[in-house]
Amino acid sequence: MRNFAMGRYRPYNTPMHRLDARVKIIALVSLMVAVFLGYGSVPLNFIIYGLIFLGLVVAMIIGKVSFLGVLRAIKAMWFMMIFILLFNVLIPTKGGDYFLIGDFKVYYSSIYNTLYIVFRLFLMLMITSILTATTSPMDMTFGLEFLLTPLKWIKVPVSSFAMILALALRFIPTLTEDTERLMRAQASRGVDFKEGKLKEKIKSITSLIIPLFSSALMRSGDLAIAMECRGYDPKAKRTKFRRKNWRISDTLWLLFFLVIFGGSIALAVLGGKYDFFQMFLDLFK
Amino acid sequence: MPIKIENLFYDYNPNTPFVAHALKDINLEIGENYFYALIGETGSGKSTLVQHLNALLWPSKGTIRIDEHFIDGNNKKLQKKKKKGVKKLRSHVGLVFQFPEYQLFEKDVLKDVAFGPRNFGIKEEEAIQIAKDSLNLVGIDESYYNRAPFELSGGEKRRVAIAGIIALKPKILVLDEPTAGLDPLGEKEMMDLFLKIHQNGTNVILVTHNMDIVLKYAEKVIVMDKGEVKRFVTPLELFQDQEFLNTVAIEPPLVFKVARELIDNGLNLDLKNISDLPSLASEIAKSKGETK
Ligand SMILES: Nc1ncnc2c1ncn2[C@@H]1O[C@H](COP(=O)(O)OP(=O)(O)OP(=O)(O)O)[C@@H](O)[C@H]1O
Ligand SMILES: [Mg+2]
Repeated sequence: MRNFAMGRYRPYNTPMHRLDARVKIIALVSLMVAVFLGYGSVPLNFIIYGLIFLGLVVAMIIGKVSFLGVLRAIKAMWFMMIFILLFNVLIPTKGGDYFLIGDFKVYYSSIYNTLYIVFRLFLMLMITSILTATTSPMDMTFGLEFLLTPLKWIKVPVSSFAMILALALRFIPTLTEDTERLMRAQASRGVDFKEGKLKEKIKSITSLIIPLFSSALMRSGDLAIAMECRGYDPKAKRTKFRRKNWRISDTLWLLFFLVIFGGSIALAVLGGKYDFFQMFLDLFK
Repeated sequence: MPIKIENLFYDYNPNTPFVAHALKDINLEIGENYFYALIGETGSGKSTLVQHLNALLWPSKGTIRIDEHFIDGNNKKLQKKKKKGVKKLRSHVGLVFQFPEYQLFEKDVLKDVAFGPRNFGIKEEEAIQIAKDSLNLVGIDESYYNRAPFELSGGEKRRVAIAGIIALKPKILVLDEPTAGLDPLGEKEMMDLFLKIHQNGTNVILVTHNMDIVLKYAEKVIVMDKGEVKRFVTPLELFQDQEFLNTVAIEPPLVFKVARELIDNGLNLDLKNISDLPSLASEIAKSKGETK
């Protein structure tokens, strides 16, 4: 359970890791926007997705993010891809070019639509796995808290949410460790988690869940008492233990992603009106 | 049941930045009919090693043979089929985990102890009878049978959990710090129980930090340090070798500390003759006689 290849924070010290978490979160949002927009013409869409893909590959190499997880995701997506393709082909579309399989019209647009969905999901997976692999949960929480500051003005308890998130993230490894330990302990009492009839399966799951809940509840009780003993007050103004220095490179990357954000929206809006790819080709005529 | 471990390596989280080389080239041969202790500093790999003995962890490299069971960490193809025979091995090697009280889950004490035997295919009534016998052994009486395990005290939970493993009637009983956190009397009762089980023909491997227990109960002691087995000797041989003890940060039992202080203060004692309190006393008397 602990060798989750995808999405797990890997504590290296690379430029990707040193980049401020807030910049990375903004980058995630703007890249997601760029990925989910359509740019009018088919070739232009694929060019832009391709560019983003190349950029992400470079980021993964720099940040030492494991390719394995992403590759596994592709494997898992095969089935979905076929399913979406069937779905798209069977739904009647407005028209355009098509080719025939027997008597059945298959529109090119339905194939493109399938590819778009697959590419988008795939790019999104890459983006999120880069973010989570190169940003420690603590930094991520602080980053989110900072970016959600505007919500504080309308009395949303952002700090409390951030604390809850930080605690939840903090206890994921502990809980996985507990689960593993318990699985092994029950296995040595003859529990078989993989095989057996339904009734036995239910029994083996109970032998895991009950002790797990009881220790988790006990832990959270202890934690609450410990926090209260140290004077935790959810309403108090907090200072940060770790101050990150904002560097020039952070500013530059922030600007870069803001440009991508604005640029992709502009391109998408204009792309609806003009066919940029055709205009580009026309230049060479 | 003889155990033979050859070139055993184990890594936690292999191929990640979190990799921990917990066991490094372990070689051990253990015969028949034994009560052995396994000691070493915190983090030296004791718990990791004992979990290999009933295939809860699978070696990264190396082999373990326990009677007819063969655990082969070198053959990667075998990994897929490894589950075969593992259940039988687990009924032969009973492992009591560190803090076993966390594995209790049944509605009442009796059911929880009977859970293990039931898993190994023993009929309900028989399992209940075995459970009663095991609880009796660990000193939990009838009034506890129908109580929920969660309402018991820490020490009582511990006993119930240990009974849960004893009920499997293993041929090798492996105990990972079974007495940590018990009161001195409870500790002694528990140890005497393990001795009794041993005398009834069960092999015992005991992980502990308590050197007085090692001296009193263990026939031989395996010393681990940073994932390696450093010594496999009798407790006397170990505690008389002060130089080695210093290198692995183990404090000898009180008797040996006293003897050493006496020697340092000029008393002419022979460490080789000392094994417990009476022998220390007679050694002191002897040296006094000489000086007179
Ligand atoms: N689940 C795990 N993941 C990663 N590393 C681990 C894990 N369990 C143990 N280790 C590491 O393996 C090494 C050996 O641990 P082990 O639990 O076997 O020590 P131990 O000798 O039983 O210590 P103790 O006396 O404290 O019980 C330690 O360095 C530990 O940090
Ligand atoms: Mg241990």
